[in-house]
Amino acid sequence: MRRSVIIAVAAVGTLVAAGCASSSSSSSSSSTSSSSSGAATAACVASTGMEGPLTGPVAVLGQEQLHFAELAVAMDNTANGTQISIVQGDTQLNPALATTVTQQLTSNAKIVAVAGPAGSQEVEAVGPLMARAGLAFISGSATNATLTTGKYPTFFRVVSKDSVQGPEDANFIVANLKPKALMIVDDQEAYSTGLVTAMTPIFTAAGIKVDHESVSQKVTDFSSLVAKVTANTSVVVLPWQVAANAQQFGRDLAQQHKNAVIFGTDGLFSPGTFSIGGSYVSSFGPDITGIAADAAIAAAAQSKYGTFGTFGPPVFAAQHVIDEAISSVCKAGQTPSRANVLAAIKQTNEPTSILGQPIQFDSNGDLVNGKFFLFKISSAGKYQLNATQLAG
Amino acid sequence: MTFFFQELVNGITTGALYALVALGFSMVYGVLKLLNFAHGDLYMVGAYIGFFVIRWFGGPTALTIPVWLLLVIMFVLAGGLVGGMGVAIERFAYRPLRNAPRIAPLITAIGISFFLENSALLLFGAQYRIYNTPDFISFSSGIRIGSVTIDAVQIMVLLLGLALMVGLRLLVSRTRLGKQMRAVAVDREAAEMLGINVNFTIAATFFIGSALAGVAGVMAGLLFNQVYSLIGFTAGLKAFTASVIGGIGSIPGAMLGGLLIGIAESFITGYISSTYTNLIVFGLLIVVMLLRPSGLLGQAQLQKV
Amino acid sequence: MSLDAPPPAAGPQVGADEWVARQAHRREYLPSFLGQAQRRFERIGFWPKLAVAGLAGAALPAVQLGGFQLQVGIDTLDIMLLALGLNIVVGWAGVLDLGYVAFYGIGAYGFALLSSGQIGSHGIHLPAELSVPIVMIGTAILGLMVGWPSRRLIGDYLAIVTLFFGEAFVEFTNNVAPSVFGGPNGIVGIDTIRAFGLSVTSNTGYYYLLVILVVVVMAVLRLLDTSRTGRAWRAVREDPLAAASMTIPVNRVKLMAFAFGAAVAALAGTIFAAQQISVFPTDFDTPILILVYAALVLGGVGSIAGAATGALVLMVIYDGLLRNGNYAGYLFYGLILLTVLVKVRPWRRLATVLAGTVALGFAAHAIARAISARAVAGSPQSTGWLGATVRHWVIIPANPQGLGDWGYVVLVCLLIALVQAKQPWRTILLVPALYLAAVVWETILAAQPAIARQIMLGAILIVTMNARPQGLLGTRRVEVPQ
Repeated sequence: MRRSVIIAVAAVGTLVAAGCASSSSSSSSSSTSSSSSGAATAACVASTGMEGPLTGPVAVLGQEQLHFAELAVAMDNTANGTQISIVQGDTQLNPALATTVTQQLTSNAKIVAVAGPAGSQEVEAVGPLMARAGLAFISGSATNATLTTGKYPTFFRVVSKDSVQGPEDANFIVANLKPKALMIVDDQEAYSTGLVTAMTPIFTAAGIKVDHESVSQKVTDFSSLVAKVTANTSVVVLPWQVAANAQQFGRDLAQQHKNAVIFGTDGLFSPGTFSIGGSYVSSFGPDITGIAADAAIAAAAQSKYGTFGTFGPPVFAAQHVIDEAISSVCKAGQTPSRANVLAAIKQTNEPTSILGQPIQFDSNGDLVNGKFFLFKISSAGKYQLNATQLAG
Repeated sequence: MTFFFQELVNGITTGALYALVALGFSMVYGVLKLLNFAHGDLYMVGAYIGFFVIRWFGGPTALTIPVWLLLVIMFVLAGGLVGGMGVAIERFAYRPLRNAPRIAPLITAIGISFFLENSALLLFGAQYRIYNTPDFISFSSGIRIGSVTIDAVQIMVLLLGLALMVGLRLLVSRTRLGKQMRAVAVDREAAEMLGINVNFTIAATFFIGSALAGVAGVMAGLLFNQVYSLIGFTAGLKAFTASVIGGIGSIPGAMLGGLLIGIAESFITGYISSTYTNLIVFGLLIVVMLLRPSGLLGQAQLQKV
Repeated sequence: MSLDAPPPAAGPQVGADEWVARQAHRREYLPSFLGQAQRRFERIGFWPKLAVAGLAGAALPAVQLGGFQLQVGIDTLDIMLLALGLNIVVGWAGVLDLGYVAFYGIGAYGFALLSSGQIGSHGIHLPAELSVPIVMIGTAILGLMVGWPSRRLIGDYLAIVTLFFGEAFVEFTNNVAPSVFGGPNGIVGIDTIRAFGLSVTSNTGYYYLLVILVVVVMAVLRLLDTSRTGRAWRAVREDPLAAASMTIPVNRVKLMAFAFGAAVAALAGTIFAAQQISVFPTDFDTPILILVYAALVLGGVGSIAGAATGALVLMVIYDGLLRNGNYAGYLFYGLILLTVLVKVRPWRRLATVLAGTVALGFAAHAIARAISARAVAGSPQSTGWLGATVRHWVIIPANPQGLGDWGYVVLVCLLIALVQAKQPWRTILLVPALYLAAVVWETILAAQPAIARQIMLGAILIVTMNARPQGLLGTRRVEVPQ
């Protein structure tokens, strides 16, 4: 056994040395490549990173984001004649892991831009690292308002922020649903609590009685919570990330014969999973199956990956911005580098995009004129666009 | 008042579920003095098995067999397969460690728990699997007393849970196997010397305990509809809490503990706030442990010199 | 009625004693020259070895390369500190503390509160030479408070209570007083380490700081280990009742273990908080606990060098599996080959097994291709020369998920059977097991490296405890049945 121990430790040491040597001489190759295996020609070759929760509790969202990023790269490579490939990084929505993954991406000199990370906490954790490396990163789902106060000079996002979505949704509820009392439940994640903080003052100012509850994402039984829904409570606001939980909540409401209507946000947009008739879902991303110009993309995504929600398309948009920036750099005769790609992204001016609106970034990295989309679910479970422009 | 009763009904239902899981856990501890951390994950496997059985027979909307038959198959299959898994785990992971330092089987159990959770994630994927129970057991088939609703699934869970608990009690106190289990729990070496086949008894205990967990998993799927790889962790925690509060190693204690936890959670959510439910339950546990370490119904353990 | 024969001697034996264990150990020396070198090595004391290890660690940044390796090095040293602290509690005092990560978190949050802009309008920005000791002492006191109820609880109960304490910590920081603890948003903008006028500005700085800390902690632990307290801990671990009759204050000794372990964890936490510039509740959840336990168990419970080595080996593998490119593949195949090389003797059997695996692979691939082209239409996860090599050896269908899933289940069953089987069957079953491992890797595991490494952690815990409970560098323990 002693011999085995010595051999084992020696071998691991060799592996470490080999790994260090191999990665010092050349950066790690991509694990997902949409280009051919031929040698790099004079064509535009670049690597981009993609950070998302590929495993963990919200892996479904992360996988959807990854799929849409890959789709964007495939379509853009064909359209622009580039050879862009994606290097994945799994953050599990965990900021500490995001830091390690970001170190991995920033130390890979070939990577010129990153799509992601998904969570606002992760952006806060990796922002300084990205800034130090001069690496542009575009998030398709980090909506915390504090992220674009100038702290992270290389951060961009293609979605609107909580400080806009929250109050707009709250105003809609007050004006159109006119509840006397409502229950708002957060799922103990930053995304959720941010929205609750934004919405509650508006409700209380309108004289509505607010019952603020909180359950973790791991809870699957809501019957006790639903029993607390009074006869006066006509709206339950669920700014959750897990659609299946909301579906269960809705079922418990029906089982206990409560008449409250569910108002949910982005995470609940999931036509297969959340389908309680009469509910509202406010989303930062559109339903691209309803946008005529996106028919090709939607069909491709559907056939390759199955059903999708609203988390994928914004990452498609982000990746597309990156791809276009790289392509424009190449057309100007330069080799893509972090600096020139960052500059090109800042100049982005797309008149139309998969999100159904133009994409332009303000000086802080926010999307100019970001829209929100409100959907109402019919009794048959279909999502119908209710009011397209909730935000300016 | 209806609110009180509604919360009570919810609490008793979930409490019965916790009690079933705690029972298996307590049994195994009684016989092997081992905290089986992997117990909650067996519950998760049972829930997945139930889901796949539903899919096999046409999914929640187009069932090819009557509902009662589906339920029977789900319970029997989940119980049997998960019981078998439990026996296999005991045979190859815990038996070699029977004479090892106490820490070894505990760490192995943690390892098995983690292994099972991630294997389920690998094999079954990250997305939640939904039972869609209301599609084949509709809400209207329940009873309504005033404005307190108890739907059919809850009634079934309660009755089945009660039947299983009573059955287990009878098994342990009246049958020969039960007597052997109790003997092994008290003193393994002496039991061996008396001619009891200790390995078989322990395996049988694991089978029954794990089968209970599997059945509880199916029930959880029917009640809560959602199955994913981490539900076992939470259920396992609740099972520990219930067993410890009731007195670990004691079967009536596990039942009592489970019900108490279920009702406590329900009332804390209802009357205080859902934010602090877990914290308060943990706090309760700590208090019980400090005041009465052997649990409410357990006996103070004698330390033999 | 039947009495099973006692299991074959593997691991701690009841009735055997330390002398027998030492004899067995001596028998394991390599022959002739290497064996002498081994004996010489063992005779070198602790301090020279520590000095060499410290110098090697400090030399690492000079040798390589890039922010990523540095970050991994920092993470490894963090886990090393944690494993060292856990070793005190679990390895020396024998107390199974499942809430250990909570102390890590308390250290991190404590530092975050004291050295950032969180509290008050401008925050308390204590310099590190004040905040770190305050946090360490505070956590040690908290460790005492958590350990205090243990005096009435038997080992297993303590495990549960500490488990709940760990869970309660995450819930607490997530939900209670979000304005103070930051809620799920955590605390950001934490100061870097500033002590005595110097401040740590780069990752390299943090790396050196951690190397110094690890060396210092290992030195302190060694001094503790060889002191009266260390002997008292060992006595309490082996037999608390006997220790009590020898006038060792068992409860006080256990509490000291808790306090020391908590202090070391808090130290690791403060450096973590400063280096990450932010702390979140999810940083201190169960997966980190499993990681630290796996590191300690792999290295050897009860041994300082073991804790450090286990952390190093584990983090290298853990990180390696997450890297892009073929690195994960090299690691996977490399580890399997290594295990087979080491465990299968004599060399004739080894050669048969390897040849058999290769032959089986090609045969199976040919049969599958003959049956249906779709059965081998997929491409392996590995690329480059590795991918080209395995492409014609491993069956990868166009849709790899089905084969991968069933292959995984069959593989686990095969491995279980392998453990139970006797000799000729063992060699025979090893061949399909190896092939199946490659198939499963190429179809589903390599595509999900994050899950693969979590599975690996669980497997490490199970296998180590069953096959070699003393880990890589620990000493065999003999348990007297109670």
